[in-house]
Amino acid sequence: MKAIPESNASMVVRSESKLGRFVRRAVQNRYLYLMSLPFVAWAFIFTYYPLWGWLMAFQKYNPRVSVWDRQWVGFKNFQLLFQDETFYLVMRNTLAMSFMSLIAAFTIPIVFALLLNEVKHMVFKKTVQTISYLPHFVSWAVVAGIVSKMLSTDNGAINDLLMWVGILDEPVQWLAKGQYFWGIVTLSDIWKETGWNAIIFLAAMAGIAPELYEAAKVDGASRLRQMWHITLPSIRPTIIILMILSIGNLINIGFEKQFLLGNNLVVDHSKVLDLYALEYGIKLNRISFATAINMFNSVVAIILLFTANGLFKRFSKESVF
Amino acid sequence: MATKRKWSSLVLSAVLLSSLLAACSSNSKNGASSSSAAPSESSSASASPSEEKLKPLTLSYYSEDVNPNWANMQDDIGKFLTEKTGITIDAEFAVGDAVQKSALIASSGDFPDIIMPKTSINKFVDAGAVLDLTDLINEHAPNIKKVFEGQMNRLKYSEADQAIYVIPSYDGINQQNLDTNGGFQLQHRVVKELGYPTIRTVKDFENAIKGYLEKHPKDENGNPNIGLSLIADDWRMYIGVTNPAFAVTGGSDDGEYYVDINTNEVTYHFRRPEEKEYFRWLNHMNAEGLLDKESFVQKYDQYKAKIATGRVLGLIDQKWDFDDGQKALKSEGKFDQAYGHYPVTMSEEYKHTAFWPTGFTGGSGIAISVDNPDPVRTIKFLDYLASDEGQVLVNWGIEGKHYKVENGKRVIPADVNDRKINDAINFQKEAGIGSYNLLSAKYGDGVVDPSGNYYTTNFPEQIMVGYSDVEKEVLAAYNGKTWKDLFPNETEFKVKPWGALWNIPVPSDSELVVLEEKIKNITWKRVPEAILAKPDQFDAIWDKFLKEIEAANVKKAEGLRQELLNQRLVLWGN
Repeated sequence: MKAIPESNASMVVRSESKLGRFVRRAVQNRYLYLMSLPFVAWAFIFTYYPLWGWLMAFQKYNPRVSVWDRQWVGFKNFQLLFQDETFYLVMRNTLAMSFMSLIAAFTIPIVFALLLNEVKHMVFKKTVQTISYLPHFVSWAVVAGIVSKMLSTDNGAINDLLMWVGILDEPVQWLAKGQYFWGIVTLSDIWKETGWNAIIFLAAMAGIAPELYEAAKVDGASRLRQMWHITLPSIRPTIIILMILSIGNLINIGFEKQFLLGNNLVVDHSKVLDLYALEYGIKLNRISFATAINMFNSVVAIILLFTANGLFKRFSKESVF
Repeated sequence: MATKRKWSSLVLSAVLLSSLLAACSSNSKNGASSSSAAPSESSSASASPSEEKLKPLTLSYYSEDVNPNWANMQDDIGKFLTEKTGITIDAEFAVGDAVQKSALIASSGDFPDIIMPKTSINKFVDAGAVLDLTDLINEHAPNIKKVFEGQMNRLKYSEADQAIYVIPSYDGINQQNLDTNGGFQLQHRVVKELGYPTIRTVKDFENAIKGYLEKHPKDENGNPNIGLSLIADDWRMYIGVTNPAFAVTGGSDDGEYYVDINTNEVTYHFRRPEEKEYFRWLNHMNAEGLLDKESFVQKYDQYKAKIATGRVLGLIDQKWDFDDGQKALKSEGKFDQAYGHYPVTMSEEYKHTAFWPTGFTGGSGIAISVDNPDPVRTIKFLDYLASDEGQVLVNWGIEGKHYKVENGKRVIPADVNDRKINDAINFQKEAGIGSYNLLSAKYGDGVVDPSGNYYTTNFPEQIMVGYSDVEKEVLAAYNGKTWKDLFPNETEFKVKPWGALWNIPVPSDSELVVLEEKIKNITWKRVPEAILAKPDQFDAIWDKFLKEIEAANVKKAEGLRQELLNQRLVLWGN
């Protein structure tokens, strides 16, 4: 009988002291808290506040009347979305191209960074690095122009080369064939982003303690062994964190490349979710429908992020949060 | 060291602060302009004299059509207009996809003062963004009324909503077609080389290209000549690929539909068996290797660049679309690689319908938004542009500078005309001629003003002055003075009493909107596929296409369009 109130009391005391500790710490670190305030406000204004626009997805949007007076339509927009077979087609394309670029983004830049890391000649290394990340700053509109010129049947470099080597007998209209489209998009992505993506891995590699390599050398490890047993494990946390974040972004691949490289002949392979939202949502003035797509997008992104994070946490003990 | 660091952080924060202030001040400027607008409205209502009228007023303006030569009213005409009316126009043009931009503006609830939405007008009307101009025109715009005399019915929005939202500015009143934009195009060197054969049917067209290619498979640099190149990039699919299908089979432009002139029956035009034959011919052209392989892949800029190389023998396009490429050829003096227009149809039984008269169609034009600070002054400004004086100003420029009056006739001095043709872009930027035509109601080409001169600078005599010697030679061989002479004349057709089906506004929440988007996507996918297929597969793909659009409810879309058409017939009193 006596024990219960006592333990209750001690709990209260503990929780009070917890709060008290927090307050005391907050006062102690008041300048840090103050400094973070603008960024919290920033995040709130630009990412949380707009969320209330999601209400539109359940309404018939009309700019003339205020949010509260608009007609509520329930889940009609979502029903329309899930009943449309085009939606499943664009989901397939979106996911296929995201996965392909995800795989490309976590193999080629890492290999590239590993190789570059082994280069001892500093001037050469810096030059290669600079040249390789420059394409990142070229806009997709320009890249698409270059790509379609390269793949053209009218004196395009790729066709000319393949014909000269003897692989092709006559030029292939690469951009007119749906089966090549995903590959073309992924390859142009690799060309554009490899150098840029490698930077972060190179930076992680630069932070590896040289004693590790020295110890390995003493033990007789070859260069390949050093890469495998020292470099790669050391940058593993970086790789995993980046991977979790990009899995969260899997569905938001934008539409620039697909829009600029696509045409009516490959539309079954080139139309992605964002293009669909543009065509069937905004362009047709179906703002509510477009909002529904966006909402679906965000929900899927959050689920993906948490799943990826959970999986990595369980199996590799590394995670974002 | 420490002090140095402090300084740099101070500088940084100062920069940040000033950028913040800049952002705020641009806001406050907007606020000020709208608050200062209020008194000017009341004063103009009290009809105080011109003193008030000249008070500077800046109107924001959004246009779906891009004017790359817009000089922010710093051109001669712009300065004159600002001086005369006190109004400055702050223009914003749709870059990229205009329809999408309009949709965003319409749904933002924050509208520019003057809007030129073309067929997106439905979105603005549904958003309550634009004013009913009926009373404004009646009270303040005698000149606009004069221009539209007898046609005011055609300005009304729809049978259900008889307000006037737009002052049509694209369709000139009593416009006479002086020359043609369309038809099929062949380089002059092709017909010259072959001794001016008759170019009347698709077969003639094909034979001409084939004949020339046999003689000259490559150009002087060893690059292969290209038979026929089509443009199918985004909306150009309409003008480059699908619209010619009805034009060569006796149909006129009613958008994606064919309307029977006698029964007024609406059909999705691809469903006509005649048009299947046109696409079969394109398929045949491809199989023969006469069609440019890149036709459905190339982007617009690549297409223009290709034309500018002079290697493309034939086109099926509109002059305003391929003219950039053609201008490049002309400026290099390659006049025989420029294009002539021929009235090609499937067979002799069809007439080319480029000049099927629609009457005044109203439609695309200028709207005044509900956010406009001073609609009365705005309509007066537009009214001035529509007046005789204003029309001469926007078309001819400033007297004594861009034209002279000799013996009561307006003449363009030789040096001005020379700049107009050979330095067109810079001239437009400096003079502003051509930058203000679409801002208000206008008279068409070939209409004469009270002084006995034409309102516009395009009139029959002027057209022929613009032709090159090669062009004149080719035309002479075909017994024409202008390209238009080769085409069937307006008088051979019965005027379409509904104007044009494509410019009847569709309420943006109508089921039709989504239906048509779906059908369009199927069409744009299947038509290129059918054209590029092996000839023995063409029928199978075409049948599949017809089945797919039927499954996508094309009949329902036809029915809804039919309703719109019937309503317009009632509205326009036929």
